[in-house]
Amino acid sequence: MSDIERELELELHRALDPIASMPIPPRRAVVRARGARGKLLGGAGAAVGFKILTGVAVAAAAVTVAGAATTGSLNPAVWGQQVSQQVENCKDDLTQGQHGIGACVSGFASNKQHGQAVASAARLNGNGNSNNNGNNGNHGNGNNGGGNGSGNSHKPTANPTDEPRDPSSHAAPKVSPGP
Amino acid sequence: MERYTPGSEADFERLYVNSYRRILGTLMTLVRDQATAEDCAQETFERAYRSWKTWQPEAPAEAWLHRIAINVAISDRRHQRIRQAGEMVRRLGRPAPGPDPSLVAERSELVAALKKLPPKQAAALVLRHYHGYTNREIAAAIGVPEQTVASRLGAARKQLQATLGRR
Repeated sequence: MSDIERELELELHRALDPIASMPIPPRRAVVRARGARGKLLGGAGAAVGFKILTGVAVAAAAVTVAGAATTGSLNPAVWGQQVSQQVENCKDDLTQGQHGIGACVSGFASNKQHGQAVASAARLNGNGNSNNNGNNGNHGNGNNGGGNGSGNSHKPTANPTDEPRDPSSHAAPKVSPGP
Repeated sequence: MERYTPGSEADFERLYVNSYRRILGTLMTLVRDQATAEDCAQETFERAYRSWKTWQPEAPAEAWLHRIAINVAISDRRHQRIRQAGEMVRRLGRPAPGPDPSLVAERSELVAALKKLPPKQAAALVLRHYHGYTNREIAAAIGVPEQTVASRLGAARKQLQATLGRR
């Protein structure tokens, strides 16, 4: 190593080594440009997303309100209990050996308009097979729950105050006796 | 040698802590003052961060940073020439600021002479004689043939001798 190189090294260390004792400042944050995804979510996409979410929320609320309105309760199990109770009442009303409990229970179901309410909610929701319609045993009306969302098997009468229809023209609901 | 994973946030932070001072040291010899060197160091790490995902681990990370730092310094010198005229006008009539004893580097005749060299020559000299890189490592760091590094070092030493000899 030549003299000039040695001097160079010494002088550079003398001048620059004090920097090594300086505290390291925090790194400056890098601002990144928003990507296509950010633009979509932040712009029109945000509005569309908000509308979809609002739609879903409104549909869910409609189902809840319809259920509450027909049974007086937010709990779908209440409907099943009411039907079970009605079955017992109908049994009591019938004399020994007399048949026709189907018409009695069907009348109760029609008056309650449960099928119509559920079908409307399902249509609002855009999903006839939604679990919200309670087409399983919870309502105690297994085959007639209106599972396709049209409510046709539990078709409501034109007038909610109509008398129970003839069981021969309307499939009698198969009601589980309940607990 | 420290190992880093491209794209890793934690590794970049580690690289920053490990190499900030050395990058700043190099920049102190390339730009006009410490404040500018600090700005350029931050700019270097900003640029590096943007390319961190595509960094090739075959090359040492600090050498890659030095390459970016040298480019930042060259860019700063270009802008400085434009700014200089305006700054001179603003400073007219004001008393000169007193010397800051902590800024040893800024008072150094050698560092002042280095600042007058072309940045690529000054950088080669600092990488060789301050950071202890070999000519081959410098060549890899700044992306030129080893022969070019040798000729830049030779030219830089010659000019430094001439500059310091005149004083």
